[in-house]
Amino acid sequence: MATKSGDTAHLYDGKTVRSSAPSRKKLAGTSSSSGEIPKDAIPTVEIPTFIESLLGGPLVPKMKFLPADKMVQNLQLGCYGVLIALGILTYIVTPAVGTIWFTVTGSMTVASILQIMVVVCAVGTGFWGTMFRDARFLLVSYVLFILSVMRFASSKVSFSQDLFGEAFMESELMLTILVVIYAVLLVMYFELSNGVLRFSMLDTSIRTREVYVMNVKKIIGKYHRSLVINPLIAGTLAMLVLSVNTILPAFISLFSEQTALRMEESVELISVYGVALGTLFVFIIVGGLFILDLPTHLQSWRENKD
Amino acid sequence: MWSRKSAMLGSLAVAMYLLGLTLRNSQLVTIAVVIFVFLTWAALFGSHADVSASGRRADEWTGEEGVALSNVSAMRKLSSARIFEDGEVGVTLRMQNHSALGKILEVRDRVPEVMRIKDGANYILMELGPRRETFIEYTVECPLRGFYSLGPVAVRVQDPFGLFHKEKELHVYNDFLVFPKMEELKDTFVKSRVPKIFTGAVNIRQPGPGSEFYSLREYFEGDSFRAINWSAYARSGKLMVNERERDAVSDIILIVDSRAVSETGPVSRNALVYSTRAAASLAKFFLGRRDSVGLITYGDEVVSVDRDTGKKQLYVILTKLAGAMARGNVPLQVVVNRILPHINKGSPIIVLSNLEDDPTIISALRDFRARNFDVTVLSPSSLEFEFDAKRLDRTGYEVLKTERDVLISELSSLGVNIMDWEPDMLLSTALAGARGF
Repeated sequence: MATKSGDTAHLYDGKTVRSSAPSRKKLAGTSSSSGEIPKDAIPTVEIPTFIESLLGGPLVPKMKFLPADKMVQNLQLGCYGVLIALGILTYIVTPAVGTIWFTVTGSMTVASILQIMVVVCAVGTGFWGTMFRDARFLLVSYVLFILSVMRFASSKVSFSQDLFGEAFMESELMLTILVVIYAVLLVMYFELSNGVLRFSMLDTSIRTREVYVMNVKKIIGKYHRSLVINPLIAGTLAMLVLSVNTILPAFISLFSEQTALRMEESVELISVYGVALGTLFVFIIVGGLFILDLPTHLQSWRENKD
Repeated sequence: MWSRKSAMLGSLAVAMYLLGLTLRNSQLVTIAVVIFVFLTWAALFGSHADVSASGRRADEWTGEEGVALSNVSAMRKLSSARIFEDGEVGVTLRMQNHSALGKILEVRDRVPEVMRIKDGANYILMELGPRRETFIEYTVECPLRGFYSLGPVAVRVQDPFGLFHKEKELHVYNDFLVFPKMEELKDTFVKSRVPKIFTGAVNIRQPGPGSEFYSLREYFEGDSFRAINWSAYARSGKLMVNERERDAVSDIILIVDSRAVSETGPVSRNALVYSTRAAASLAKFFLGRRDSVGLITYGDEVVSVDRDTGKKQLYVILTKLAGAMARGNVPLQVVVNRILPHINKGSPIIVLSNLEDDPTIISALRDFRARNFDVTVLSPSSLEFEFDAKRLDRTGYEVLKTERDVLISELSSLGVNIMDWEPDMLLSTALAGARGF
């Protein structure tokens, strides 16, 4: 039977009650000369920082990375390669015209210098962040890359350098391919640099015996396959989505040649709004598939097939 | 479920898409499209599509497993369900994939925080093939007594880029018990003054059939010739016989203080830990001597184990000690009032308490002594635990130590056998000290 100390006063009636030594529990943490909470009274909890969780989140609680293993080194090398290609492509596809610095300074030379500086800084911080596996530098690099592409472009794809000749510049398809490659490289850079951090954390946890990994080769193999397949698929599908303004007239031409011709020459359809409209149209279909729960059915079919 | 990474990429894509439209910048729109495609592909083929597809947000998620994890099951086996402190439990976790699809799974078998993984790992990243099973083995070290439960098994499946994941808790639990560690005792110096009807192995300081020498007396007719002490006869010229101390079964009452204050100090070094270990050791010793042992723990309520003998009683006592939680603040006087009518006069009573925060201690022990009970108090000093853990400065320690010494002297003057049990002192030493040896 539970008896609360507050209900037992009657037990002491008529007895001499002596006060005992004060509770050490109450004194714990308050009796030290400095008055600080003792360090051992606070449990250590490792919580991933906000930036870490944005970058894919650590698989296990944060700790200092051990020297990179072969897998991480390979990812770092891949990341450097992508970074160089991305730097060059960013410089090509993002001329200084229409940038914030051009609007502010009004000088093409100054704007070009600033634009080059932004790209160089983006590449530099990316290199630094990848080499030292520091998420903060990587985040700065991402922001700078996005900043460099943020410009008023008047619906027209224009390049800062005519490196590929006039024929290339006049081909709509080639321009789209170049921009898609640029976009895919940017996303790949995001992913590879994240991979460097994620696998460093995993490797550190494996070596400190926090995590045990079974069939390491298969797990890494799957990641490597995804690194190749996913960008290819993303690039191809993006190409299809961005070519809606050419696919749509081709489809319409089956019914009316004239309407198709008018659509092909329509400024609205070949402008960025046309691309955006096409994108929206495609993603409404994708959204519809999600609403119909197609992925679940697909997953279920894959799970249960013999 | 969306990870923060996928949420960030999704938001970035939307922002770029809208900004692209505003700035008429097709590069921005293109990047947004590529990111959208990337996310859609991962959502469709990343073994988690059931969650993202349903469009449910993380906070709406009810914990029901989706398709991806519906065919994963787990079973667990423990090497032992009862161990002593600092013992080890071997855990074998069997993971099965019943589906036709191979999966990359993150498996974390939840282990109580106080336990340490000694061998193997409870966190595994694995590739589990279609219709395959695997065994995960690890060993946990259990440094503290208590009732523990292993589980649930948390399983997570995610796409290779960590964009989406699906989690499921497999509610597989295994309970086990960690008994307090015991110290081997040779003698406790605690003897009953009151004989019981049947003989046992405890000396009760009265002449009678027994094994230990009590005194010499003159020979009377009927005494056994074997009992004659020939050396004494040679010395005195009279026939003298050896009298032996009567052996009998005693009732031993162990009282363990499990009030909230008893847990003052570090987790592994506090009065409650020491008290439970001492109570377990004493119970084993007395039961081994064929005494009957009863246990009372008091914290937020008074819990008692009736006096009994034998090995079964030891397990009953150990189980109660394993489950003793530091809670409440029931005064010792309440315990005394409760048990006094039920215990035999003269029975040895052993109190294990840090003697803190209880103004009734003196009056309660006086009540015992007034009825001629043989009272022994072992008092693990919380003061020392805190001082060792550097939670008390020297001045505070000295002041509190003086107060404690005064209290101990006061109890000692009542005829209580008391010992201020310091952290590094063995139980046998503390007992000997309490009994004046």
